[in-house]
Amino acid sequence: MSTRDALLADLRALRRIWPLLGVSRRRLAVAVAWGTLALSAAVGLAAVSAWLIARASQMPPVLDLTIAVVAVRALGIGRGLFRYLDRLASHDVALRGAAHLRERLYSALAHGRTDAVATLRRGEVLRRWGADVDDVGDLVVRAVVPALVALVVSLVAVGIVGALSPLAGLVLAACLLLAGLGAPLLAARAVRAAELDGAAQRGRVAAQAMTVLDGAAELRVGGRLDPLLGELADAEDALRRTRDRAARPAALAQGVTAAATGLAVVAALAIGAAQLAAGSLAPVELAVVVLTPLAAFEGVGMLAGASVHAVRAADAARRLTDLLDRARRPATGAADPAVGAPAVVAAGLAVGWPGREPLLRGLDLTLAPGRAVAVVGPNGSGKTTLLLTLAGLLPPAAGEVRIGGVPSTALADGAPSVVTMTAEDAHVFDTTILENLRVARGDVTEDEAREVLALAGLGAFLDRLPDGLDTVVGAGGACISGGERRRLLVARALLSPAPLLLLDEPDEHLDPETAERLLQDVLALREAGRGVLLVTHRGAASLAAADDVVDLGAVAAAPGVVPMLERSA
Amino acid sequence: MAKPLDPALLRSVRSARSTVLATAALVVAQTAALVVAALLLARALGRLVEGSAAWSEVAGEALGVLVALAVRAALTTATEWRAHRGATRVVAEMRDATLRHVARLGPRWLEAHRAEVATLVTRGLDALEPYLVRYLPQLLQTALLTPAILVVIATQDLLSAATLAITLPLIPVFMWLIGLATERTTRRRLAAQQRLDARVLDLVAGLGTLRALGRARGTVARVRELADAERRGTMSTLRVAFLSGAALELLATLSVAVVAVGVGLRLVTGEVGLVTGLAVLVLAPEVLAPLRHVGTHFHASADGVAAVERCLDILREPVPVAGTADLGPVEEVEWDGVDVLPPGRTLPAPAGLHGRVRRGGITVLRGPSGAGKTSAALALLGLLAPDAGVVRLRVGDRRLDLRDVDLAAWHAQVAWVPQHPVLEPGTLREVALAGVDADDEALRGAAERSGFAEVVAALPLGWDTPVGGRARGLSAGQRQRLATTRALLSPARFLVLDEPTAHLDSASSAQVLRLVTEAARDGVGVLVLTHAPELVAAADEVVTVAAGAAEPLAAEVLA
Repeated sequence: MSTRDALLADLRALRRIWPLLGVSRRRLAVAVAWGTLALSAAVGLAAVSAWLIARASQMPPVLDLTIAVVAVRALGIGRGLFRYLDRLASHDVALRGAAHLRERLYSALAHGRTDAVATLRRGEVLRRWGADVDDVGDLVVRAVVPALVALVVSLVAVGIVGALSPLAGLVLAACLLLAGLGAPLLAARAVRAAELDGAAQRGRVAAQAMTVLDGAAELRVGGRLDPLLGELADAEDALRRTRDRAARPAALAQGVTAAATGLAVVAALAIGAAQLAAGSLAPVELAVVVLTPLAAFEGVGMLAGASVHAVRAADAARRLTDLLDRARRPATGAADPAVGAPAVVAAGLAVGWPGREPLLRGLDLTLAPGRAVAVVGPNGSGKTTLLLTLAGLLPPAAGEVRIGGVPSTALADGAPSVVTMTAEDAHVFDTTILENLRVARGDVTEDEAREVLALAGLGAFLDRLPDGLDTVVGAGGACISGGERRRLLVARALLSPAPLLLLDEPDEHLDPETAERLLQDVLALREAGRGVLLVTHRGAASLAAADDVVDLGAVAAAPGVVPMLERSA
Repeated sequence: MAKPLDPALLRSVRSARSTVLATAALVVAQTAALVVAALLLARALGRLVEGSAAWSEVAGEALGVLVALAVRAALTTATEWRAHRGATRVVAEMRDATLRHVARLGPRWLEAHRAEVATLVTRGLDALEPYLVRYLPQLLQTALLTPAILVVIATQDLLSAATLAITLPLIPVFMWLIGLATERTTRRRLAAQQRLDARVLDLVAGLGTLRALGRARGTVARVRELADAERRGTMSTLRVAFLSGAALELLATLSVAVVAVGVGLRLVTGEVGLVTGLAVLVLAPEVLAPLRHVGTHFHASADGVAAVERCLDILREPVPVAGTADLGPVEEVEWDGVDVLPPGRTLPAPAGLHGRVRRGGITVLRGPSGAGKTSAALALLGLLAPDAGVVRLRVGDRRLDLRDVDLAAWHAQVAWVPQHPVLEPGTLREVALAGVDADDEALRGAAERSGFAEVVAALPLGWDTPVGGRARGLSAGQRQRLATTRALLSPARFLVLDEPTAHLDSASSAQVLRLVTEAARDGVGVLVLTHAPELVAAADEVVTVAAGAAEPLAAEVLA
């Protein structure tokens, strides 16, 4: 792709993301108006004070200068005031835009395809969420407002100079055009190629830094810390080289603006001198024609940086829209599962991640209140994928899952009022134990929480904690042991209002006695009218209490045949 | 308050030092070019307006202006370029230093500060770029250019110089006020941003869970609230930061206006000449421009200053004192009455732990969940200092306290497979061979023993399959088996396996049992943290870990 095409693609990316910022035209217009007033005050100040000094040197009556004196002072005050309002207004627009975009992003991930979030690295989420949204949000402050302001202010300056000397005005316009179009375009073109690599390298640096943070202790013991830091240094080197390349034209653009200013001033001096000699320009006017350009370049001077920023924002915009596209799923129905009996019925079911080979085929299974089903199978036989499919969170690869009588594909987003799933790696939030339980149901009382924690075998653990239910469990549940985490997840599942529960290996990380007890407690839930499906490694003896036992190893090995060890229900 | 330029930054970061020096030199050169251009322009324009000279007489001066401004343009480019280059180097240097340091601070510290450090090394440090590229040159200009130009103006017109000199002292007062007003809010903002990041990321990380429970929709409003709270917080910071900045800018522009009016009125009475007046008019804004820019860029750079301060704080965080004693080949390692007090708990877990791991033997560490098995392993690895008791290494006849020995030498003799091993970004082969020296044949052999070979066989790209970080490409059990493969390839004399069968079915568990007994037979000291009865049965020594017990539990020797 040529650089020109790439820049056009940038424009398209920015146009696509712009509506997601939800920028109000009114707020934007207000920000531009204040910015224009601030810079016009600066240009006005230069023009009027040049006139004042030149006219004063002719020693007129002081009264002749009164208006100019007042104007100079007023413009001196106005600039600071308008600039303050401009910055406040444009930052407000930008921040609102970023907040709006973050909400859209989160909402897309919350409602969109299950696998969109799962395939992102943590460092990447951090970048999308943070730096990328900030980059796009800053587009307002750093590119859009400055560009519009520069345009208006340049017209004002050319107007002032052109009214006195059309030729000098023309030269000034040409110089402004050179600085205002040439410099940012050059910078954007040269930065374009470097910036794309730079973003990939920034992501690499971030991902490697996160790896170091996640596994510092392990890496250190294994002697892998230094090699990894070495790789990080290499990634930093590559990043630095691209950034240096990007900085070069940006720096050059600054120089171009300074050079254009000098050219405009000296040209105005030469043209003005000729007109003065020809008598078509008054001496006082000459001062205005020469000195006004000094202040006129402040607006266009910001455009090189603005264009570099716009390119960066376009990359961020592309990554964000890409993520949004990935999260968007084909329209599903919004059928209500509450109308049918609360049961999950799978018929001829095949499960797998979209776009990959199914992991399981030909499965028939019924889960209803009062029944307990155990699923056993070797690693990698698709247990987790099966649970996601049965919960209606993943479309079946073939066959059908009916939840409450409704096909799962006709449901908007699973059927949490009928069936909920607790994954093996379900998240423990960085908050108190009680709040973690309330994730399942908002109105869980402290007594309910204690009861269910005791049921999950966490009674003694809770008693040992000085802060009890208000103990904060760290990010990812790092401040509790693996077994405590599992039991907390089980307790949470038990609190869910859904009559049917899908539990992925609730007995892992537990000592054998506790695991056995927990398993029996879970299976006993059917007495309370719950339907339970659990995945486990326990042997057949432990599963005697289950109504059905499904062996996935056999399902995967012999497609079409479902061995179901029927027991008296 | 945060210093505009922390000497500690210059002391501890080499690239920061050279960047500041180079920028200062370029700024001085820029000033000289500017003064020359202004004086020549005033002379040429003044004489033309007065009618005392024709174009041909001022053409030389006009050319001089052009040259001086061209030089200034070149110097502007050079300053910007040098500052950019400096910024990328400083950021890289600080990121590296911070990561190295936090790695040495140990897992407990990192656990408590992970979100904050993550924000700092991925985003926070980027704020250094505007600080070094925009703010610092302006700060140096303020220190160098402002007084120099003021002296030049004084040689032209003393009264104008005096007017500006009266305004100038007000600026530092404003600077101080700005610092006072924004420092705390900026710090608060960075802290709030990190808290918000942690909370929102926690929500994003838990999205799968929230969706499974049907609660994801409810949290959209929560995220909106958090984002809105941040916007409001930021706006109130900006209102303060911009207000002082605006006052500063107002003062600067207004004093230029006052000088212009003053010169104008004295021109009427003939006290000063036009050339002088024009020179003052052109130079006056330049005296105050750097100060104005310092105000403009202050809020952007304040994040940079705060990030620098936080980095320097982390670098000042004392690293647990590491021993230096030489270590020969270790024969045995033991816990002697080891207590570890987990943060936020009143009872130690483990408490009074006794036990040992001998080369050629299998030690199983078991105990109820939460009793402190992993903490015991971390203490053994020297990653966690016991709150009571000691970990001892036996080398020949010597018994060494782990606190006294060079940890790197001990780590070179241990391979550790944690419950959730971290995988560096790369292909499976690169990950498996990271930090070990082995060929493909050895790799295949080790993978057969760990059971990872069958995982590889099922992958279309085999050993060239890319994985990394927290990639979901591999399940927890597969990741552990990959880490075990790597452990088997290392020449370690001791092997620590944390819950090696947790994610495995019984067939794979049997494989773990086989590899553990084989390793012990090969003379490796094996420590396994597990509940699995078959591993307990195979153990030479079973150590039961208990939390909170006041009296030490004796090791129960089976074999």
